Amino acid sequence: MKRLIFFLYILFLLILTFFSYAFVDPNLLYYKNIYSGFAFQNKEITAFLYFLFIVLFFVFYQTFMWLFKKDKLDIREIKKLIILTILGLFFSYSAMLSYDIFNYLTTAKVAFSYHENPYIIMPIEFVGEPFLNFTRAANKLALYGPVWILITGAPFLLGFGKFFFTLINFKFIIVIFYVLTSWIIYKFKNNPYTVLFFALNPLVIIETLIGGHNDIVMMFFALSSFFFIKQKKYILAICFFIVSILIKYATLFLLPIFIYILWRTKINKAINWDKIFLYSFFSMLIIFFLSPIREEMYPWYAIWFLVFSSLITNKKIILLFSISISFGLLLRYIPYMYLGTYFGIVPILKILLTILPLIVGGIIYFMQTNKFKKT
Amino acid sequence: MKKFTGIFILFFLILLYPQKALANSDYVLPYPSLMPGNRLYLVQEIKENWMKYWYFGNFGQFTYNLNRADKFLVEAKTLFEYKQYLLADRALKKSDYFFGQIFIYLERAEAENKDISENKKILSQASLKHLEILENLKNELPENFIWQPEKLSPTDIDIHQDINNSIKIRHEGI
Repeated sequence: MKRLIFFLYILFLLILTFFSYAFVDPNLLYYKNIYSGFAFQNKEITAFLYFLFIVLFFVFYQTFMWLFKKDKLDIREIKKLIILTILGLFFSYSAMLSYDIFNYLTTAKVAFSYHENPYIIMPIEFVGEPFLNFTRAANKLALYGPVWILITGAPFLLGFGKFFFTLINFKFIIVIFYVLTSWIIYKFKNNPYTVLFFALNPLVIIETLIGGHNDIVMMFFALSSFFFIKQKKYILAICFFIVSILIKYATLFLLPIFIYILWRTKINKAINWDKIFLYSFFSMLIIFFLSPIREEMYPWYAIWFLVFSSLITNKKIILLFSISISFGLLLRYIPYMYLGTYFGIVPILKILLTILPLIVGGIIYFMQTNKFKKT
Repeated sequence: MKKFTGIFILFFLILLYPQKALANSDYVLPYPSLMPGNRLYLVQEIKENWMKYWYFGNFGQFTYNLNRADKFLVEAKTLFEYKQYLLADRALKKSDYFFGQIFIYLERAEAENKDISENKKILSQASLKHLEILENLKNELPENFIWQPEKLSPTDIDIHQDINNSIKIRHEGI
């Protein structure tokens, strides 16, 4: 039975990888041989298939959690599942749902190929640059921190000017940080469930292993800094925390918590790590909710708080909230997929699709709580 | 807990709506910045001198030098209007220096096979704007002026000649 589930899971991932290529951008000249235009010409089918994939992904996720609770899944098998997930999605098309990876690539090109400061010079200023055809934030200065730009130097330069290899290198970097984050989560609690909850969350997988978003890198450094405080390696902790902020700035919201635990450790006072993770979860949740002030509530921002919610295993409401919002956020892509526009009814539909799973999650929680109280 | 959940739902509804941002820009000269004599003028100068390292790259240097040329031209114009001829003339010469640097970095960018057509357009627009200011100044200002500070030897400022020199440099940018 378990073998069959594993087999179906890898098959599912491979089909998802294949499906991701339906979204190849018509202007991506490097992929012109595999461009089909399917997602743009068959919007209804694409939206439906995407919905089906999301539902199935969550079915697998819940199945793995159920197997774990039934003691039918151990850490070795969780590791195996993580490796299978990485292998299954490694060659998926990164810009299936967001063009951020192209922004990373183009920013890296400004810095490491044109030798210009990406905080001063926009990609659009390089007339005739082929990346401009498919980069959506070409008219923006670098959005991310300097450490992230430095990190992107390695995958960019090791691509030796070949688009495909550069893209794969970027994916590889993200995979490394995905594995490292899962590892550090495990190190914190020595509980395989925390790893399972985080690393196999469909939102984390889609936004990290397909979308290649750098949020996982930022969160790895933030979580590691907490871990180093626990290990009483203060300098390393401070360095990692600064690095985290200088990747995408969002972890600046963890600064009061970071200072608090640093101070507690320094004066040899005990730290209630469950409370720390709970406060961290809420801090990152607040900045997540504030993100529309800057632009929009992007699904991959959820990684900021999912890292911490996976470490709060004793609060069922948070686990349920994390799963519901992950599902809802992934549904946010459907209106654009179906209607092909960001305007009109799309913003409202996005809100509804995000909220609906939360309401369902809330009902499930209250029903279970009442049932528990009655018994 | 209920209150907390309520606040979060409220946050959620208000902030979930995507924001739109539109941008538009034309070439314009900056507002006058701090003037010589201000206590913070030196601090600003040091900061701006250091900024040249932040503007690395030939396009970056193009932007940096153009910004500095603009800034000093506006400074010169303001000081001329306040009849601070000596300081104004110095600012004008600084503006000329930075404007001259632009050509060097554009050449270097071209040598790196960068398309400089857009930069040339910007430079051309900037040059026309500078020329407009300089021509107006030339019409309004005396040809020569002897600056006589207290207890110091006088300085003969050849205002028109300096402005003519500035105009000549700007013509290269059109």
